[in-house]
Amino acid sequence: MPIKNRLAEMHDEIKGWRRALHQIPELQFDLPKTTAFVEARLREIGITDITTGIGQSGIVAVIEGQTNTSGRTIGLRADMDALPIDEASGVEYGSTHPGKMHACGHDGHTAMLLGAAKYLSETRNFDGKVALIFQPAEEGGAGGDAMVKDGLMERFGINEVYGMHNAPGIPVGEFAIRPGALMASADQFDITVTGKGGHAGQPDTVIDTNLAAAHVMLALQSIVSRNTDPIKQLVVSVCTIMSDTDSYNIIPQNVLLRGTVRSLDNDLRKMAAERIEALSRLTAEAYGCTVEIDYEWGYPVTVNHPDETTHAADAAEVIGKVDRDVAPIMPAEDFSYMLEARPGAYMFLGNGDTPMCHHPAYDFDDEAIPVGCSWFAELVERRLPLN
Amino acid sequence: MPIKNRLAEMHGQITEWRRDIHAHPEIGFEVTRTAALVAEQLRQAGCDEVVTGVGQSGVVGVIHGKSTESGRVIGLRGDMDALPILEASGVDYTSTHDGNMHACGHDGHTAIVLGAATYLAETRNFDGTVVVIFQPAEELGSGAKAMVDDGMMDRFGVQEVYGLHNMPGLPVGEFAIRPGPMMAAADEFHITLTGRGGHAAKPQETVDTTVMAAQMIVALQSVVSRNVDPVKQGVLSVTSVDTASHAYNVIPETVLVRGTVRSHDPEAQDLIEKRLSEVAKGVAETMGGSAEVLYQRHVPITINADEPAAFAADVARAVAGDVSEAPLIMGGEDFSYMLNERPGAFIFLGNGESAGLHHPEYNFNDEAIPAGCSWFAELIERRMPSA
Repeated sequence: MPIKNRLAEMHDEIKGWRRALHQIPELQFDLPKTTAFVEARLREIGITDITTGIGQSGIVAVIEGQTNTSGRTIGLRADMDALPIDEASGVEYGSTHPGKMHACGHDGHTAMLLGAAKYLSETRNFDGKVALIFQPAEEGGAGGDAMVKDGLMERFGINEVYGMHNAPGIPVGEFAIRPGALMASADQFDITVTGKGGHAGQPDTVIDTNLAAAHVMLALQSIVSRNTDPIKQLVVSVCTIMSDTDSYNIIPQNVLLRGTVRSLDNDLRKMAAERIEALSRLTAEAYGCTVEIDYEWGYPVTVNHPDETTHAADAAEVIGKVDRDVAPIMPAEDFSYMLEARPGAYMFLGNGDTPMCHHPAYDFDDEAIPVGCSWFAELVERRLPLN
Repeated sequence: MPIKNRLAEMHGQITEWRRDIHAHPEIGFEVTRTAALVAEQLRQAGCDEVVTGVGQSGVVGVIHGKSTESGRVIGLRGDMDALPILEASGVDYTSTHDGNMHACGHDGHTAIVLGAATYLAETRNFDGTVVVIFQPAEELGSGAKAMVDDGMMDRFGVQEVYGLHNMPGLPVGEFAIRPGPMMAAADEFHITLTGRGGHAAKPQETVDTTVMAAQMIVALQSVVSRNVDPVKQGVLSVTSVDTASHAYNVIPETVLVRGTVRSHDPEAQDLIEKRLSEVAKGVAETMGGSAEVLYQRHVPITINADEPAAFAADVARAVAGDVSEAPLIMGGEDFSYMLNERPGAFIFLGNGESAGLHHPEYNFNDEAIPAGCSWFAELIERRMPSA
């Protein structure tokens, strides 16, 4: 039983939904057309327990199984938002919103969850409830966090959550997953070093901001080399150095250091932030300068729970080949907030040999639709078996 | 003999010249009107020879003494160009060339040398030849060099050269001078560090130019602290650091580091230039990258030869009653090109409590004219006394 027969029958219909969504890409929390489309399809399917406006513009729909003796609810999540990219895929169902594009396949994720919803609503071969979670603002807006903070897990009694992302480079019909850290955290910082600007020919009358900034930068290198457990992963990169003058004869008042912290370990991530603060402040002070640090916490590490990872992989194995120990990747994902709130797992679904996500020529591969839908359905039927 | 009586009588006339020049400031080599005014007055004064167009737009006047048995030829130099500054002095002879201004007192210098030339052409109480030199483009740092390159020293047989600059803060009519270095060389450097750019989350695939820049800036501190003789003067300032990208997640391919080197000692200047390049390239190579160093010398160090400086001080003492020791100035002066060709001296003439040089409210103080003219005239009469 690689693909569920009923879902194979529905392939064209779901493909139609995916392409309709592809033509109306919307950004962040501002998804009026997309959410209206999702809600209309859910009502067509016959689902009545629909709640909109969760985490600003998220939607949650609940399907009850034939029985509910387990009292358990499984959350299945898809993201709905697109990217501010000019589409260059050349497909006939290309974006009708100039400058916006579904370049990360969230159109596919949403369509697959709608397809699974239709199947589950028709068959209801499970004992418990399914909460379909359609979230906004995955691309940098922390929409997943917004829904969790809006009481998503408690309001719908969700016990476990699962989600997936299409993966260019993995053959269509195959899956990849790993227990533990799957995707990195990504935080960013602005360190403004302030000295006392002045004439470059009179060093004794200035406090040299460039020199203090250089010492701060060198001090930051010790976070990875000296403070990090050698078998764990942490990256601290300074990417931008900008003195506030580009002259040849002025010592600048301010120098901006801008960079990023990536980690696969949430404790390391907190340590890095603390060390960046302490090393910057103390080093700058040693040279008579002050610092102002604007530390922006991004998405946390996406950590798959071990038991749920096994469930997710077992369900996938019924449908296609599964790599159970894929290497972690450095991009970040805001499903991580849901995995911090409840046990669960995040799965990669093969998208074949396409351009990478966020590339203007990228497109979701519709052949992956029955595979993804089947995985959602199989997962529910396995985790909530009828007696 | 504080002020020569004849020059005191001419004060009103010389002041008129100064104010006329002040009202018509010209920039760089484009000093057409000023040069014409100078040439016309030299002819009226009865100079034996007036040559224009030396070094593009410089003017040279030749005055023979009552006798020329000594065979000596002394050059007296004034500069004619103004600055691209909007005048805010509020004087009634303010600039009529909007956006241009005599904010460095070259109007005063020109009028003073013109006054001295008129006096010397009238009296000729000396045994030898005076060459009065009016140069363009001092503010560009290239006018004096243009005249020297045009063969001025050889064409007119100049053996010694003297010049002066007004100095705000020093009482009007007083002098200050020092033997040896008096004004600095101001060089510029431009270092491009090249590594290998890439994603900030994959440091192992990059050669990080930001760390390289920090290492280099710190290492450059040792040039002054460890390489330059402590009794000599040198400044090496990094003034600007700019990464090729300003992102949070990209390691830049290149970083541009700009700065200045100031020195009063030719050996220190050579050493700093050499070490700057060695340190930059050495650090870059150590970190796996490379450094391209562009080092640009501008005006040379202004160095007063010992004997002419002592003589110039004696003359100033005769005119003003006393002479103070000038401080070492970190600014530069292109008269240095003439002093590199011939022995001579540069002296500061007090301008009183005026706004600073290059300030929009600055004005040359006409009360300094008789002292300046008398210094030039007395210098000639003492250096080449009539038999």
